[in-house]
Amino acid sequence: MAAPDTPAGGRTSPVPERRPAAIVSHLDIIYRVVGGKRSNTSAIGDDEGESIFRNLIGRGKTVATVQSVHAVKDVSFVAYHGESVGIIGRNGSGKSTLLRAVAGLLPPTNGEVFLAGTPALLGVNAVLMSALSGERNIYIGGQALGLTKAQVKERFEEIVAFSGIGDAVYRPMSTYSSGMAARLRFAISTAAVPDVLMIDEALSTGDAEFRKRSGEKVDEIREKASTVFLVSHSNSTVRDLCDRVLWMHHGHLIADGPTEAILTAYEGWDPKKHPAGPPGIG
Amino acid sequence: MTAGPEGLPQTPPALSAEEAAALAKRHGLPSLGGRPPFGDYVGSLWGQRSFIWTLSTAQTVARNSSDRLGMLWTVLNPLLLIGSYYLVFGLLVPTTKGTTNFIAFLAIGVVIFGYMASSITRGSKSIVNNIGLVRALRFPRAVLPVAETLTQVVTVLPAIAVLMVVVIVTGEPVRWHWLLLPVALAMQTAILGGMVLIAARLVNISRDMTNLIPVAIRVLRYVSGVFFSIEAYAARFDPIVGDVLMIQPFALPIALVRQCLLEEAPIQWIQWAAGLGWAVVLPAFGLWFFWRDEAKYGRA
Repeated sequence: MAAPDTPAGGRTSPVPERRPAAIVSHLDIIYRVVGGKRSNTSAIGDDEGESIFRNLIGRGKTVATVQSVHAVKDVSFVAYHGESVGIIGRNGSGKSTLLRAVAGLLPPTNGEVFLAGTPALLGVNAVLMSALSGERNIYIGGQALGLTKAQVKERFEEIVAFSGIGDAVYRPMSTYSSGMAARLRFAISTAAVPDVLMIDEALSTGDAEFRKRSGEKVDEIREKASTVFLVSHSNSTVRDLCDRVLWMHHGHLIADGPTEAILTAYEGWDPKKHPAGPPGIG
Repeated sequence: MTAGPEGLPQTPPALSAEEAAALAKRHGLPSLGGRPPFGDYVGSLWGQRSFIWTLSTAQTVARNSSDRLGMLWTVLNPLLLIGSYYLVFGLLVPTTKGTTNFIAFLAIGVVIFGYMASSITRGSKSIVNNIGLVRALRFPRAVLPVAETLTQVVTVLPAIAVLMVVVIVTGEPVRWHWLLLPVALAMQTAILGGMVLIAARLVNISRDMTNLIPVAIRVLRYVSGVFFSIEAYAARFDPIVGDVLMIQPFALPIALVRQCLLEEAPIQWIQWAAGLGWAVVLPAFGLWFFWRDEAKYGRA
Protein backbone atom coordinates (compact mmCIF):
# COMPACT_ATOMS: atom_id res chain seq x y z
CA MET A 1 0.00 0.00 0.00
CA ALA A 2 1.11 3.50 -0.67
CA ALA A 3 2.74 5.60 2.00
CA PRO A 4 0.27 7.89 3.84
CA ASP A 5 1.71 11.07 2.34
CA THR A 6 1.10 10.04 -1.25
CA PRO A 7 -2.04 11.11 -3.08
CA ALA A 8 -3.33 7.56 -2.78
CA GLY A 9 -3.84 8.25 0.91
CA GLY A 10 -7.13 10.06 0.39
CA ARG A 11 -8.87 7.56 -1.74
CA THR A 12 -12.59 7.90 -1.38
CA SER A 13 -13.93 11.20 -2.61
CA PRO A 14 -11.87 13.28 -5.03
CA VAL A 15 -10.48 16.39 -3.39
CA PRO A 16 -10.78 19.26 -5.93
CA GLU A 17 -7.09 19.99 -6.29
CA ARG A 18 -5.78 16.45 -6.57
CA ARG A 19 -3.68 16.26 -9.73
CA PRO A 20 -5.51 14.39 -12.46
CA ALA A 21 -3.49 11.89 -14.51
CA ALA A 22 -6.20 10.91 -16.96
CA ILE A 23 -9.37 12.76 -17.88
CA VAL A 24 -11.85 10.87 -20.00
CA SER A 25 -14.71 12.96 -21.26
CA HIS A 26 -17.79 11.51 -22.95
CA LEU A 27 -15.74 8.89 -24.74
CA ASP A 28 -17.31 6.84 -27.52
CA ILE A 29 -15.43 4.16 -29.39
CA ILE A 30 -16.97 2.65 -32.46
CA TYR A 31 -14.91 -0.01 -34.12
CA ARG A 32 -15.01 -0.69 -37.77
CA VAL A 33 -14.23 -4.38 -37.65
CA VAL A 34 -12.96 -6.00 -40.80
CA GLY A 35 -13.13 -9.72 -41.36
CA GLY A 36 -15.21 -10.93 -38.45
CA LYS A 37 -15.91 -10.19 -34.84
CA ARG A 38 -13.43 -9.35 -32.15
CA SER A 39 -14.05 -11.89 -29.45
CA ASN A 40 -14.00 -9.38 -26.61
CA THR A 41 -16.38 -6.87 -28.11
CA SER A 42 -19.08 -9.19 -29.38
CA ALA A 43 -22.30 -9.12 -27.44
CA ILE A 44 -23.25 -11.84 -25.04
CA GLY A 45 -25.43 -14.35 -26.85
CA ASP A 46 -23.92 -14.05 -30.30
CA ASP A 47 -26.36 -14.13 -33.17
CA GLU A 48 -25.73 -17.40 -34.94
CA GLY A 49 -27.94 -16.68 -37.91
CA GLU A 50 -26.20 -13.46 -38.70
CA SER A 51 -22.80 -15.10 -38.98
CA ILE A 52 -24.11 -17.80 -41.30
CA PHE A 53 -25.54 -15.11 -43.53
CA ARG A 54 -22.27 -13.28 -43.42
CA ASN A 55 -20.39 -16.40 -44.45
CA LEU A 56 -22.76 -16.90 -47.35
CA ILE A 57 -22.15 -13.48 -48.79
CA GLY A 58 -18.56 -13.26 -47.53
CA ARG A 59 -17.33 -16.74 -48.52
CA GLY A 60 -15.26 -17.13 -45.37
CA LYS A 61 -12.05 -15.19 -45.23
CA THR A 62 -11.51 -14.25 -48.84
CA VAL A 63 -13.86 -11.27 -48.70
CA ALA A 64 -13.68 -9.42 -45.44
CA THR A 65 -16.92 -8.22 -43.91
CA VAL A 66 -17.13 -4.82 -42.32
CA GLN A 67 -19.25 -4.05 -39.31
CA SER A 68 -19.37 -1.46 -36.59
CA VAL A 69 -19.16 -2.30 -32.92
CA HIS A 70 -20.07 0.38 -30.43
CA ALA A 71 -17.66 -0.81 -27.76
CA VAL A 72 -17.53 2.18 -25.41
CA LYS A 73 -20.54 4.43 -24.88
CA ASP A 74 -20.33 7.89 -23.33
CA VAL A 75 -17.77 7.05 -20.63
CA SER A 76 -16.44 9.85 -18.43
CA PHE A 77 -14.15 9.71 -15.41
CA VAL A 78 -11.11 11.38 -13.92
CA ALA A 79 -8.21 9.36 -12.53
CA TYR A 80 -5.61 10.93 -10.27
CA HIS A 81 -1.92 10.57 -9.71
CA GLY A 82 -1.09 7.72 -7.37
CA GLU A 83 -4.42 6.05 -7.94
CA SER A 84 -4.78 2.43 -8.93
CA VAL A 85 -7.95 1.89 -10.89
CA GLY A 86 -9.42 -1.52 -11.64
CA ILE A 87 -11.76 -1.99 -14.60
CA ILE A 88 -14.19 -4.86 -14.23
CA GLY A 89 -17.06 -6.23 -16.25
CA ARG A 90 -18.07 -9.26 -18.23
CA ASN A 91 -16.43 -10.33 -21.47
CA GLY A 92 -17.30 -7.88 -24.19
CA SER A 93 -18.21 -5.05 -21.86
CA GLY A 94 -15.59 -2.75 -23.38
CA LYS A 95 -12.93 -2.93 -20.67
CA SER A 96 -9.93 -3.53 -22.90
CA THR A 97 -11.18 -1.09 -25.49
CA LEU A 98 -11.53 1.59 -22.84
CA LEU A 99 -8.02 0.86 -21.61
CA ARG A 100 -6.54 1.10 -25.09
CA ALA A 101 -8.38 4.33 -25.74
CA VAL A 102 -7.09 5.83 -22.49
CA ALA A 103 -3.60 4.73 -23.54
CA GLY A 104 -4.05 6.72 -26.74
CA LEU A 105 -3.75 3.60 -28.86
CA LEU A 106 -7.30 3.87 -30.19
CA PRO A 107 -8.59 7.18 -31.45
CA PRO A 108 -11.89 8.24 -29.87
CA THR A 109 -14.90 8.29 -32.17
CA ASN A 110 -16.44 10.97 -29.95
CA GLY A 111 -15.29 12.66 -26.79
CA GLU A 112 -11.81 13.30 -25.60
CA VAL A 113 -9.02 11.75 -23.53
CA PHE A 114 -6.45 13.88 -21.73
CA LEU A 115 -3.43 12.12 -20.32
CA ALA A 116 -0.43 13.26 -18.28
CA GLY A 117 2.79 11.85 -19.65
CA THR A 118 3.57 8.66 -21.52
CA PRO A 119 1.42 5.58 -21.12
CA ALA A 120 2.60 1.99 -21.34
CA LEU A 121 0.04 -0.70 -22.02
CA LEU A 122 0.76 -4.17 -20.84
CA GLY A 123 -1.57 -6.65 -22.42
CA VAL A 124 -1.63 -10.41 -22.85
CA ASN A 125 -1.64 -9.92 -26.58
CA ALA A 126 1.14 -7.39 -26.59
CA VAL A 127 3.68 -9.70 -28.12
CA LEU A 128 6.50 -7.44 -28.93
CA MET A 129 8.32 -9.42 -31.64
CA SER A 130 7.93 -13.10 -31.07
CA ALA A 131 10.58 -14.22 -33.56
CA LEU A 132 13.21 -12.35 -31.59
CA SER A 133 14.97 -13.19 -28.37
CA GLY A 134 13.81 -11.76 -25.07
CA GLU A 135 17.03 -9.76 -25.00
CA ARG A 136 16.21 -7.93 -28.23
CA ASN A 137 12.65 -7.40 -27.08
CA ILE A 138 13.93 -5.74 -23.93
CA TYR A 139 15.90 -3.29 -26.06
CA ILE A 140 12.99 -2.68 -28.42
CA GLY A 141 10.43 -2.28 -25.64
CA GLY A 142 12.70 -0.17 -23.46
CA GLN A 143 13.53 2.22 -26.28
CA ALA A 144 9.91 2.42 -27.38
CA LEU A 145 9.13 3.49 -23.81
CA GLY A 146 11.58 6.34 -24.19
CA LEU A 147 14.70 4.95 -22.54
CA THR A 148 18.00 5.41 -24.27
CA LYS A 149 20.00 2.38 -25.34
CA ALA A 150 22.47 3.05 -22.54
CA GLN A 151 19.67 3.17 -19.96
CA VAL A 152 18.27 -0.12 -21.21
CA LYS A 153 21.73 -1.66 -20.99
CA GLU A 154 22.07 -0.37 -17.44
CA ARG A 155 18.73 -1.85 -16.38
CA PHE A 156 19.03 -5.04 -18.41
CA GLU A 157 20.13 -7.27 -15.53
CA GLU A 158 17.44 -5.82 -13.31
CA ILE A 159 14.73 -6.45 -15.91
CA VAL A 160 15.84 -10.05 -16.42
CA ALA A 161 16.09 -10.63 -12.68
CA PHE A 162 12.63 -9.22 -12.07
CA SER A 163 11.08 -11.31 -14.83
CA GLY A 164 12.75 -14.38 -13.35
CA ILE A 165 13.13 -16.05 -16.74
CA GLY A 166 16.90 -16.48 -16.46
CA ASP A 167 18.83 -17.63 -19.52
CA ALA A 168 15.62 -18.01 -21.50
CA VAL A 169 15.99 -14.31 -22.23
CA TYR A 170 18.38 -15.30 -25.04
CA ARG A 171 15.81 -17.57 -26.69
CA PRO A 172 13.15 -16.38 -29.16
CA MET A 173 10.01 -15.18 -27.41
CA SER A 174 7.97 -17.61 -29.51
CA THR A 175 9.43 -20.43 -27.38
CA TYR A 176 8.22 -18.88 -24.11
CA SER A 177 5.30 -20.15 -22.11
CA SER A 178 2.52 -17.61 -21.73
CA GLY A 179 3.55 -17.05 -18.13
CA MET A 180 7.17 -16.37 -19.04
CA ALA A 181 6.17 -13.97 -21.79
CA ALA A 182 3.80 -12.12 -19.48
CA ARG A 183 6.51 -11.79 -16.85
CA LEU A 184 9.01 -10.44 -19.32
CA ARG A 185 6.50 -7.95 -20.71
CA PHE A 186 5.66 -6.78 -17.24
CA ALA A 187 9.34 -6.36 -16.43
CA ILE A 188 9.91 -4.36 -19.63
CA SER A 189 6.85 -2.15 -19.17
CA THR A 190 7.78 -1.25 -15.64
CA ALA A 191 11.48 -0.71 -16.31
CA ALA A 192 10.90 2.89 -17.29
CA VAL A 193 8.35 3.79 -14.56
CA PRO A 194 5.72 4.94 -17.05
CA ASP A 195 3.53 7.89 -16.07
CA VAL A 196 0.49 5.75 -16.64
CA LEU A 197 0.76 1.97 -16.52
CA MET A 198 -2.07 -0.02 -18.05
CA ILE A 199 -2.28 -3.71 -17.36
CA ASP A 200 -4.68 -5.81 -19.39
CA GLU A 201 -5.10 -9.27 -17.87
CA ALA A 202 -1.36 -9.60 -18.04
CA LEU A 203 -0.89 -10.66 -14.45
CA SER A 204 -3.27 -13.57 -14.52
CA THR A 205 -0.80 -15.86 -16.28
CA GLY A 206 1.98 -15.50 -13.73
CA ASP A 207 2.40 -17.82 -10.77
CA ALA A 208 1.62 -16.84 -7.17
CA GLU A 209 5.15 -15.73 -6.43
CA PHE A 210 5.26 -13.48 -9.49
CA ARG A 211 1.85 -12.02 -8.68
CA LYS A 212 3.18 -11.00 -5.29
CA ARG A 213 6.26 -9.35 -6.81
CA SER A 214 4.23 -7.61 -9.50
CA GLY A 215 1.85 -6.33 -6.82
CA GLU A 216 4.81 -4.80 -5.02
CA LYS A 217 5.99 -3.27 -8.27
CA VAL A 218 2.57 -1.74 -8.92
CA ASP A 219 2.63 -0.18 -5.44
CA GLU A 220 6.12 1.14 -6.08
CA ILE A 221 4.97 2.73 -9.35
CA ARG A 222 2.02 4.36 -7.62
CA GLU A 223 4.29 5.73 -4.94
CA LYS A 224 6.18 7.51 -7.69
CA ALA A 225 2.88 9.30 -8.35
CA SER A 226 2.10 7.35 -11.47
CA THR A 227 -1.33 5.96 -12.15
CA VAL A 228 -2.14 2.32 -12.72
CA PHE A 229 -5.11 0.95 -14.65
CA LEU A 230 -5.82 -2.74 -14.37
CA VAL A 231 -8.26 -4.83 -16.37
CA SER A 232 -8.85 -8.17 -14.75
CA HIS A 233 -11.38 -10.92 -14.39
CA SER A 234 -9.79 -11.93 -11.13
CA ASN A 235 -11.59 -10.10 -8.35
CA SER A 236 -8.84 -10.98 -5.90
CA THR A 237 -6.23 -9.31 -8.12
CA VAL A 238 -8.39 -6.20 -8.28
CA ARG A 239 -8.85 -6.28 -4.49
CA ASP A 240 -5.12 -6.61 -3.91
CA LEU A 241 -4.01 -3.91 -6.30
CA CYS A 242 -6.75 -1.34 -6.77
CA ASP A 243 -8.28 1.30 -4.55
CA ARG A 244 -10.92 2.32 -7.07
CA VAL A 245 -12.99 0.33 -9.53
CA LEU A 246 -14.83 1.15 -12.74
CA TRP A 247 -17.58 -1.29 -13.68
CA MET A 248 -18.25 -1.56 -17.40
CA HIS A 249 -21.39 -3.14 -18.79
CA HIS A 250 -22.23 -3.26 -22.51
CA GLY A 251 -19.95 -0.32 -23.12
CA HIS A 252 -21.45 1.86 -20.38
CA LEU A 253 -19.67 2.85 -17.22
CA ILE A 254 -22.30 1.85 -14.68
CA ALA A 255 -20.40 2.31 -11.44
CA ASP A 256 -17.27 4.11 -10.28
CA GLY A 257 -16.17 4.06 -6.67
CA PRO A 258 -14.11 2.39 -3.93
CA THR A 259 -13.03 -1.17 -4.68
CA GLU A 260 -14.82 -3.02 -1.91
CA ALA A 261 -18.25 -1.47 -2.45
CA ILE A 262 -18.26 -1.97 -6.20
CA LEU A 263 -16.84 -5.49 -6.07
CA THR A 264 -19.41 -6.55 -3.52
CA ALA A 265 -22.19 -5.36 -5.80
CA TYR A 266 -20.50 -6.97 -8.82
CA GLU A 267 -20.14 -10.30 -7.07
CA GLY A 268 -23.74 -10.13 -5.87
CA TRP A 269 -25.06 -9.59 -9.37
CA ASP A 270 -26.27 -12.78 -11.00
CA PRO A 271 -26.80 -12.31 -14.75
CA LYS A 272 -29.30 -15.21 -14.75
CA LYS A 273 -31.56 -13.51 -12.21
CA HIS A 274 -31.18 -10.06 -13.72
CA PRO A 275 -30.90 -10.74 -17.44
CA ALA A 276 -31.67 -7.11 -18.22
CA GLY A 277 -28.45 -6.01 -16.56
CA PRO A 278 -26.93 -5.18 -13.24
CA PRO A 279 -28.67 -2.98 -10.68
CA GLY A 280 -28.60 0.65 -11.53
CA ILE A 281 -29.32 0.29 -15.21
CA GLY A 282 -32.67 -0.63 -16.59
CA MET B 1 -25.30 6.88 -14.85
CA THR B 2 -26.73 7.21 -11.37
CA ALA B 3 -26.34 4.65 -8.63
CA GLY B 4 -28.76 1.81 -8.33
CA PRO B 5 -30.92 1.07 -5.36
CA GLU B 6 -28.93 -1.97 -4.20
CA GLY B 7 -26.08 -0.27 -2.42
CA LEU B 8 -23.94 0.75 -5.36
CA PRO B 9 -21.92 3.79 -4.33
CA GLN B 10 -22.69 7.07 -5.98
CA THR B 11 -20.72 7.42 -9.20
CA PRO B 12 -19.05 10.83 -9.43
CA PRO B 13 -21.06 12.98 -11.85
CA ALA B 14 -19.51 13.27 -15.30
CA LEU B 15 -17.87 16.55 -16.10
CA SER B 16 -19.19 18.36 -19.11
CA ALA B 17 -16.86 18.45 -22.11
CA GLU B 18 -15.98 22.09 -21.29
CA GLU B 19 -15.29 21.35 -17.62
CA ALA B 20 -13.09 18.40 -18.57
CA ALA B 21 -11.14 20.50 -21.04
CA ALA B 22 -10.72 23.26 -18.44
CA LEU B 23 -9.50 20.77 -15.82
CA ALA B 24 -7.06 19.29 -18.31
CA LYS B 25 -5.80 22.72 -19.21
CA ARG B 26 -5.34 23.72 -15.57
CA HIS B 27 -3.14 20.71 -14.95
CA GLY B 28 -1.40 20.76 -18.30
CA LEU B 29 -2.73 17.45 -19.61
CA PRO B 30 -2.49 17.17 -23.40
CA SER B 31 -5.33 15.69 -25.41
CA LEU B 32 -4.61 12.33 -26.98
CA GLY B 33 -7.06 12.75 -29.79
CA GLY B 34 -5.00 14.45 -32.39
CA ARG B 35 -1.61 13.94 -33.90
CA PRO B 36 1.39 16.08 -33.00
CA PRO B 37 2.23 19.01 -35.28
CA PHE B 38 4.21 17.85 -38.30
CA GLY B 39 7.39 19.65 -37.22
CA ASP B 40 7.33 18.02 -33.78
CA TYR B 41 6.68 14.68 -35.43
CA VAL B 42 9.76 14.93 -37.63
CA GLY B 43 11.76 15.98 -34.58
CA SER B 44 10.55 13.06 -32.49
CA LEU B 45 11.34 10.69 -35.35
CA TRP B 46 14.90 12.00 -35.39
CA GLY B 47 15.00 11.54 -31.62
CA GLN B 48 14.13 7.89 -32.13
CA ARG B 49 17.02 7.10 -34.50
CA SER B 50 18.68 4.77 -32.03
CA PHE B 51 15.38 2.90 -31.60
CA ILE B 52 15.05 2.69 -35.40
CA TRP B 53 18.48 1.13 -35.59
CA THR B 54 17.69 -1.37 -32.81
CA LEU B 55 14.52 -2.42 -34.61
CA SER B 56 16.23 -2.69 -37.94
CA THR B 57 19.10 -4.88 -36.77
CA ALA B 58 16.64 -7.04 -34.84
CA GLN B 59 14.57 -7.58 -37.98
CA THR B 60 17.64 -8.49 -40.00
CA VAL B 61 18.66 -11.09 -37.43
CA ALA B 62 15.14 -12.52 -37.21
CA ARG B 63 14.92 -13.00 -40.96
CA ASN B 64 18.28 -14.62 -41.41
CA SER B 65 17.70 -17.04 -38.58
CA SER B 66 14.53 -18.51 -40.09
CA ASP B 67 16.25 -20.14 -43.09
CA ARG B 68 18.78 -22.92 -42.66
CA LEU B 69 21.12 -21.53 -45.28
CA GLY B 70 20.57 -18.03 -43.89
CA MET B 71 22.88 -15.51 -45.51
CA LEU B 72 23.68 -17.85 -48.40
CA TRP B 73 20.24 -17.19 -49.89
CA THR B 74 20.94 -13.48 -50.13
CA VAL B 75 23.66 -14.41 -52.66
CA LEU B 76 21.96 -17.40 -54.30
CA ASN B 77 18.64 -15.69 -54.87
CA PRO B 78 19.86 -12.85 -57.11
CA LEU B 79 22.07 -15.30 -59.05
CA LEU B 80 19.14 -17.63 -59.72
CA LEU B 81 16.92 -14.70 -60.65
CA ILE B 82 19.45 -13.24 -63.07
CA GLY B 83 19.87 -16.71 -64.59
CA SER B 84 16.16 -17.23 -65.16
CA TYR B 85 15.66 -13.76 -66.62
CA TYR B 86 18.61 -14.36 -68.96
CA LEU B 87 17.05 -17.63 -70.08
CA VAL B 88 13.82 -15.85 -71.07
CA PHE B 89 14.88 -12.40 -72.23
CA GLY B 90 18.40 -13.21 -73.40
CA LEU B 91 17.78 -16.49 -75.20
CA LEU B 92 14.09 -17.34 -75.69
CA VAL B 93 12.47 -13.94 -76.41
CA PRO B 94 15.49 -11.67 -76.79
CA THR B 95 15.00 -8.06 -75.68
CA THR B 96 18.62 -7.16 -76.19
CA LYS B 97 18.09 -4.32 -78.65
CA GLY B 98 20.19 -1.25 -77.82
CA THR B 99 22.48 -3.03 -75.36
CA THR B 100 25.97 -4.42 -75.72
CA ASN B 101 26.64 -6.14 -72.40
CA PHE B 102 23.15 -7.58 -71.92
CA ILE B 103 24.01 -9.87 -69.01
CA ALA B 104 25.30 -6.98 -66.88
CA PHE B 105 22.48 -4.74 -68.13
CA LEU B 106 19.95 -7.38 -67.06
CA ALA B 107 21.69 -8.12 -63.75
CA ILE B 108 21.49 -4.46 -62.75
CA GLY B 109 17.80 -4.33 -63.67
CA VAL B 110 16.98 -7.49 -61.75
CA VAL B 111 18.89 -6.63 -58.58
CA ILE B 112 17.92 -2.96 -58.40
CA PHE B 113 14.27 -3.60 -59.17
CA GLY B 114 14.29 -6.53 -56.75
CA TYR B 115 15.45 -4.16 -54.04
CA MET B 116 12.52 -1.85 -54.79
CA ALA B 117 10.02 -4.71 -54.97
CA SER B 118 11.01 -6.30 -51.66
CA SER B 119 11.25 -2.94 -49.88
CA ILE B 120 7.74 -1.99 -50.88
CA THR B 121 6.26 -5.43 -50.29
CA ARG B 122 7.80 -5.72 -46.82
CA GLY B 123 7.55 -2.06 -45.95
CA SER B 124 3.88 -1.79 -46.81
CA LYS B 125 3.20 -4.35 -44.06
CA SER B 126 5.47 -2.72 -41.52
CA ILE B 127 2.53 -1.46 -39.46
CA VAL B 128 0.20 -4.43 -39.76
CA ASN B 129 2.99 -6.94 -39.12
CA ASN B 130 4.06 -5.15 -35.95
CA ILE B 131 0.58 -4.60 -34.64
CA GLY B 132 1.52 -5.99 -31.21
CA LEU B 133 4.17 -3.34 -30.80
CA VAL B 134 1.87 -0.61 -32.10
CA ARG B 135 -0.92 -1.58 -29.73
CA ALA B 136 1.32 -1.86 -26.69
CA LEU B 137 3.45 1.24 -26.85
CA ARG B 138 3.27 4.81 -28.03
CA PHE B 139 6.05 5.97 -30.29
CA PRO B 140 6.08 7.81 -33.62
CA ARG B 141 4.67 5.15 -35.92
CA ALA B 142 6.89 6.21 -38.81
CA VAL B 143 9.67 4.46 -36.90
CA LEU B 144 8.39 1.13 -38.27
CA PRO B 145 8.42 1.85 -42.04
CA VAL B 146 11.71 3.71 -41.73
CA ALA B 147 13.28 0.81 -39.84
CA GLU B 148 11.99 -1.59 -42.49
CA THR B 149 13.59 0.51 -45.23
CA LEU B 150 16.91 0.34 -43.38
CA THR B 151 16.54 -3.41 -42.97
CA GLN B 152 16.12 -3.70 -46.72
CA VAL B 153 19.34 -1.73 -47.30
CA VAL B 154 21.25 -4.24 -45.20
CA THR B 155 19.53 -7.13 -46.97
CA VAL B 156 20.34 -5.88 -50.48
CA LEU B 157 24.07 -5.45 -49.89
CA PRO B 158 24.98 -9.09 -50.68
CA ALA B 159 22.98 -8.82 -53.91
CA ILE B 160 24.92 -5.66 -54.81
CA ALA B 161 28.13 -7.63 -54.24
CA VAL B 162 26.84 -10.33 -56.62
CA LEU B 163 26.02 -7.60 -59.11
CA MET B 164 29.56 -6.21 -58.96
CA VAL B 165 30.96 -9.69 -59.63
CA VAL B 166 28.67 -10.09 -62.66
CA VAL B 167 29.69 -6.66 -63.96
CA ILE B 168 33.40 -7.42 -63.62
CA VAL B 169 33.14 -10.95 -65.04
CA THR B 170 31.27 -9.69 -68.12
CA GLY B 171 34.22 -7.42 -68.90
CA GLU B 172 33.20 -3.93 -67.77
CA PRO B 173 36.26 -1.75 -67.16
CA VAL B 174 36.81 -0.19 -63.74
CA ARG B 175 35.99 3.53 -64.08
CA TRP B 176 35.63 6.51 -61.75
CA HIS B 177 31.90 6.34 -62.43
CA TRP B 178 31.73 3.40 -60.05
CA LEU B 179 32.19 5.90 -57.23
CA LEU B 180 28.72 7.24 -58.04
CA LEU B 181 27.12 3.91 -57.16
CA PRO B 182 26.69 4.72 -53.43
CA VAL B 183 25.11 8.04 -54.43
CA ALA B 184 22.64 6.30 -56.73
CA LEU B 185 21.79 3.72 -54.06
CA ALA B 186 21.34 6.41 -51.41
CA MET B 187 18.94 8.32 -53.65
CA GLN B 188 17.08 5.13 -54.40
CA THR B 189 16.79 4.31 -50.70
CA ALA B 190 15.36 7.75 -49.96
CA ILE B 191 12.82 7.30 -52.78
CA LEU B 192 11.91 3.90 -51.37
CA GLY B 193 11.54 5.29 -47.86
CA GLY B 194 8.91 7.68 -49.18
CA MET B 195 7.07 4.97 -51.08
CA VAL B 196 7.15 2.62 -48.09
CA LEU B 197 5.60 5.31 -45.87
CA ILE B 198 2.83 5.84 -48.41
CA ALA B 199 2.23 2.11 -48.86
CA ALA B 200 2.22 1.46 -45.10
CA ARG B 201 -0.59 3.97 -44.57
CA LEU B 202 -2.59 2.61 -47.50
CA VAL B 203 -2.31 -0.96 -46.21
CA ASN B 204 -3.33 0.22 -42.75
CA ILE B 205 -6.43 1.87 -44.22
CA SER B 206 -7.37 -1.31 -46.04
CA ARG B 207 -5.64 -4.66 -45.88
CA ASP B 208 -7.02 -5.32 -49.34
CA MET B 209 -4.20 -3.17 -50.62
CA THR B 210 -1.76 -6.00 -49.90
CA ASN B 211 -3.36 -7.82 -52.82
CA LEU B 212 -2.95 -4.90 -55.19
CA ILE B 213 0.69 -4.20 -54.37
CA PRO B 214 2.05 -7.36 -56.08
CA VAL B 215 0.02 -6.48 -59.18
CA ALA B 216 1.37 -2.93 -59.22
CA ILE B 217 4.90 -4.21 -58.76
CA ARG B 218 4.49 -6.68 -61.63
CA VAL B 219 3.30 -3.95 -63.98
CA LEU B 220 6.16 -1.72 -62.91
CA ARG B 221 8.63 -4.56 -63.44
CA TYR B 222 7.50 -4.76 -67.06
CA VAL B 223 7.52 -1.04 -67.81
CA SER B 224 10.60 0.06 -65.89
CA GLY B 225 13.26 -1.27 -68.22
CA VAL B 226 14.36 -4.17 -66.05
CA PHE B 227 15.11 -6.43 -69.04
CA PHE B 228 14.99 -4.03 -71.98
CA SER B 229 16.31 -0.62 -72.90
CA ILE B 230 13.55 1.97 -72.62
CA GLU B 231 15.38 4.27 -75.05
CA ALA B 232 15.59 1.56 -77.71
CA TYR B 233 12.04 0.26 -77.38
CA ALA B 234 10.12 3.49 -76.72
CA ALA B 235 11.52 5.10 -79.87
CA ARG B 236 8.47 4.17 -81.91
CA PHE B 237 6.15 6.11 -79.55
CA ASP B 238 5.86 9.82 -79.05
CA PRO B 239 9.10 10.99 -77.30
CA ILE B 240 7.04 12.06 -74.29
CA VAL B 241 6.16 8.38 -73.62
CA GLY B 242 9.83 7.45 -73.44
CA ASP B 243 10.56 10.41 -71.17
CA VAL B 244 7.76 9.51 -68.78
CA LEU B 245 8.80 5.86 -68.71
CA MET B 246 12.38 6.90 -68.09
CA ILE B 247 11.81 9.48 -65.39
CA GLN B 248 9.33 7.58 -63.21
CA PRO B 249 10.84 6.67 -59.83
CA PHE B 250 11.07 2.94 -60.51
CA ALA B 251 12.92 3.18 -63.83
CA LEU B 252 15.20 6.03 -62.89
CA PRO B 253 17.26 4.27 -60.17
CA ILE B 254 17.92 1.39 -62.57
CA ALA B 255 19.10 3.81 -65.24
CA LEU B 256 21.35 5.65 -62.79
CA VAL B 257 23.02 2.46 -61.59
CA ARG B 258 23.59 1.41 -65.21
CA GLN B 259 25.27 4.74 -65.85
CA CYS B 260 27.57 4.06 -62.90
CA LEU B 261 28.58 0.56 -63.90
CA LEU B 262 28.19 0.13 -67.69
CA GLU B 263 30.47 1.71 -70.24
CA GLU B 264 27.65 1.64 -72.82
CA ALA B 265 25.44 3.92 -70.65
CA PRO B 266 26.79 7.47 -70.63
CA ILE B 267 26.11 9.63 -67.57
CA GLN B 268 23.06 11.83 -68.13
CA TRP B 269 23.20 14.51 -65.47
CA ILE B 270 19.65 15.60 -66.16
CA GLN B 271 18.52 12.17 -64.95
CA TRP B 272 20.66 12.49 -61.82
CA ALA B 273 19.00 15.81 -61.11
CA ALA B 274 15.60 14.17 -61.55
CA GLY B 275 16.67 11.38 -59.21
CA LEU B 276 17.70 13.93 -56.61
CA GLY B 277 14.32 15.59 -57.01
CA TRP B 278 12.48 12.34 -56.36
CA ALA B 279 14.81 11.60 -53.43
CA VAL B 280 13.80 14.87 -51.76
CA VAL B 281 10.14 15.09 -52.72
CA LEU B 282 9.04 11.49 -52.13
CA PRO B 283 10.36 11.05 -48.55
CA ALA B 284 8.99 14.45 -47.56
CA PHE B 285 5.60 13.75 -49.10
CA GLY B 286 5.62 10.17 -47.76
CA LEU B 287 6.29 11.29 -44.21
CA TRP B 288 3.59 13.93 -44.40
CA PHE B 289 1.15 11.44 -45.92
CA PHE B 290 1.96 8.86 -43.25
CA TRP B 291 1.69 11.41 -40.44
CA ARG B 292 -1.87 12.33 -41.47
CA ASP B 293 -3.07 9.00 -40.04
CA GLU B 294 -0.72 8.91 -37.04
CA ALA B 295 -3.57 8.50 -34.56
CA LYS B 296 -5.15 5.66 -36.52
CA TYR B 297 -2.40 3.05 -36.65
CA GLY B 298 -3.06 0.03 -34.52
CA ARG B 299 -6.81 0.19 -34.84
CA ALA B 300 -8.56 -3.14 -34.71
